[in-house]
Amino acid sequence: MTRLRLALLLLVLTSCGLAQYAAAQEPYPSRPISLVVPFPPGGVADLTARPVAAAMEKTLKQPVGIVNKTGAAGAVGMQFVATSKPDGYTLLLALSSISIIPEADKLFSRPPAFTVDQFAPVALISADPTILVVRTESPWKTAKEFIEDAKKRPNQISYSSSGIYGTLHMAMELLSHAAGIKLRHVPYAGAGPALTALLGGHVDALASGPSVVLPQIKAGKLRALAGWGDKRVAALPDVPTFKELGYPEAEFYIWAGLFAPKGTPEPVLAKLREAARAGVADPDFKAAMDKLETPIAFKQGAEFQKFFEADAHRLAEGVRKVGRVEQK
Amino acid sequence: MAETLQNLSLGFSVALQPPVLLYAFVGCVVGTLVGVLPGVGPLAGISLLLPATFGLTATNAIVMLAGIYYGAMYGGSTTSILMRIPGEAASVMTCIDGYAMARKGRAGAALAIAAIGSFIAGTGSVIALMLLAPPLANFALRFGPPEYFALLLLGLLVLAYMSGGSMVKSLAMATLGLLLGMIGIDQMSGYFRFSYGVVELGDGLGVVPIAVGLFGIAEVLATAGQETPPQVLKPRLRELLPSRQEWRDSVMPIGRGSVLGFLIGIIPGSAHIISSFVSYAVERRLSRHPEEFGHGAVAGVAGPESANNSATSGAFVPMLALGVPSGPIPAVMLAALMVHGVSPGPLLIKEQPDLFWGFIASMYVGNLMLLALNLPMVGVFVNVLRVPYSFLYPSIIMFCVVGVYAVNGSVVDVWIALGMGALGYLLRKLGFETAPIVLGAILAPMIELALRQSLAMSDGQYSIFVSRPISGTLLAFGAALVLLNLVSWLVRGLDWRRRIPLDEHGENL
Repeated sequence: MTRLRLALLLLVLTSCGLAQYAAAQEPYPSRPISLVVPFPPGGVADLTARPVAAAMEKTLKQPVGIVNKTGAAGAVGMQFVATSKPDGYTLLLALSSISIIPEADKLFSRPPAFTVDQFAPVALISADPTILVVRTESPWKTAKEFIEDAKKRPNQISYSSSGIYGTLHMAMELLSHAAGIKLRHVPYAGAGPALTALLGGHVDALASGPSVVLPQIKAGKLRALAGWGDKRVAALPDVPTFKELGYPEAEFYIWAGLFAPKGTPEPVLAKLREAARAGVADPDFKAAMDKLETPIAFKQGAEFQKFFEADAHRLAEGVRKVGRVEQK
Repeated sequence: MAETLQNLSLGFSVALQPPVLLYAFVGCVVGTLVGVLPGVGPLAGISLLLPATFGLTATNAIVMLAGIYYGAMYGGSTTSILMRIPGEAASVMTCIDGYAMARKGRAGAALAIAAIGSFIAGTGSVIALMLLAPPLANFALRFGPPEYFALLLLGLLVLAYMSGGSMVKSLAMATLGLLLGMIGIDQMSGYFRFSYGVVELGDGLGVVPIAVGLFGIAEVLATAGQETPPQVLKPRLRELLPSRQEWRDSVMPIGRGSVLGFLIGIIPGSAHIISSFVSYAVERRLSRHPEEFGHGAVAGVAGPESANNSATSGAFVPMLALGVPSGPIPAVMLAALMVHGVSPGPLLIKEQPDLFWGFIASMYVGNLMLLALNLPMVGVFVNVLRVPYSFLYPSIIMFCVVGVYAVNGSVVDVWIALGMGALGYLLRKLGFETAPIVLGAILAPMIELALRQSLAMSDGQYSIFVSRPISGTLLAFGAALVLLNLVSWLVRGLDWRRRIPLDEHGENL
């Protein structure tokens, strides 16, 4: 019995060794790749990751499997990829919150779950500016009226968010600092409950991704006042940007990007970039993103690096400005 | 009304098409399996299968996912009754009296009552969904944090009704549960509480690991530790059906559970979980034999099981009528619609009548399918109890570990479940009940968030709870309940707990 077990163990060990040896020899990719999504199925990240994976498979000629590794607002999955082997077989599809989490950790002087420099950016897939929405029956017809009223009544106008230091919170805070206003923050556990709270009249405003609120705007329940983008949102051509209104610091995107762990060899990264570039041009991928009403915003290499760094800088600044929430 | 009938016939013309029928059936079967597997609840099931629906049409996808959702609610009772392992939070209450019934040899009756109660509740609530969705949806949105807080406070009162034995012990356990619920991120400040650098603890202790550990694993440990092993149950066929008395005792709880479940289910949030708690408390309050609860009262199975099924339809009200994700499960289903290019919103019913009415009709069909699937299965499932304990118990532990791991793919969760199993064993040896811990741990984060959101809304004014009509009414109702109990206690110095013989505490050890 013992001998049999030993023999089995040896067999397993040698085959593992062989597999690894083989992997080192063969050109990348020689086995399936896992794309880690640090959010649950059905969320923005997941819905973007699935068509991305399907499109990249076509170039890589290896299956790209989605692994939803959720928890702690994405920190669990991001930490997992940050500390996994940099061989190109474990990738990450992250949202803007990747730059916020380490800053929030710093704020509370706790050991960070991960840092942004543990990742090598591969490609930006989409970047959706948030838009400011209020209920149709609310008194504010334009962003200007909203800001003026907020100046008159500091801390009286309330807004919901997807959670403290979450993307929707940061967008509002960037606006507050740019416009010099003070709003009342009511955090919810996710973007869905935050929208429900606005529709139910429990808060007055919300910054949200356009695809989530477009149906409510079309149905006449919500009114869009302005967007955080650098350009107007294609589906809402009449809604100005905060930049046009004179608040250039209020720039914010909910973006989705592809990352590999730092230290991934350059030839592997080049292969991944190529697969991502071919992937976003794929008609199936375009159709999938169209259905989600999420415009593709492809950037890679130095261009993505620059965007990522600027965004991380802006958000880090934002988190520091918000600071720790004082206890009442 | 005529219009509704016309729409419904349109719905059935969609729902009875062979492919739709097939996907409804697949959803129901998968849902039943998901419900039977310990730990894997409807959310995990739907999330895992969501990618598989991308290739289907929007109607097929939503019909299949809904089938998984309510199928899991049917199936969730099975392991709760047979092995005291809750499939998910909503079947925690079924563990208590359902398992007690199984120990008395009434497993078949408990399973049958659960299936029939679920069917009645499921069908009744679809009718309510069909007739009342648009007007109710707008009402449901008026439930904000203060209203939610008031409702949860009523749920907390339920804890006091949980115990069959000592009130002090059960309140101590409820407090322990509330304390466990404090672990994790502080939603208002972003501060990590009691996480000790473990990132996974940032979300707090999950309901599934706690419930599976305290109920399932602790039960196995406690039974294995007995000096004389319990007898293997040999259920006979004629014992499978509920007796006349059991029927009579179930009718009203099923009716009340259905109505209660639907009303609580429409409230956005995770309200469907507390629907079963509230139903249990109501049944115990109204029962002429409250002392039987916890020892195999059939009403303690019929009420909560009907309530959690009815709540699933309730949860579809705001989702379909307004396109708002009213909870984690509807959120995944909305995502499934978006993938197919259907933008869920207030115009959904008008723009996609085929989808909406087909969905409604498929729920009638699905409930029938589930009844047909589950009633004959009762005979199969109870045979699990025939397996000798030396084989059954190791497999239960294995299923518990696999199930807990499957929910998030997290080893930390498995350790939590095992730790809770050890804690549960210890507490049972000391004569404490573990159910209040689970309830406390479920309610604590919800109550805290609702309370602090309300105060954020009002800038710290506590008056927000009484000045808003719905929350004020709920709080007044709760206060009246407490006062009534206090009065009867003062006047008579009596409580039904007095009727419980003192020596029964050691019974389950």
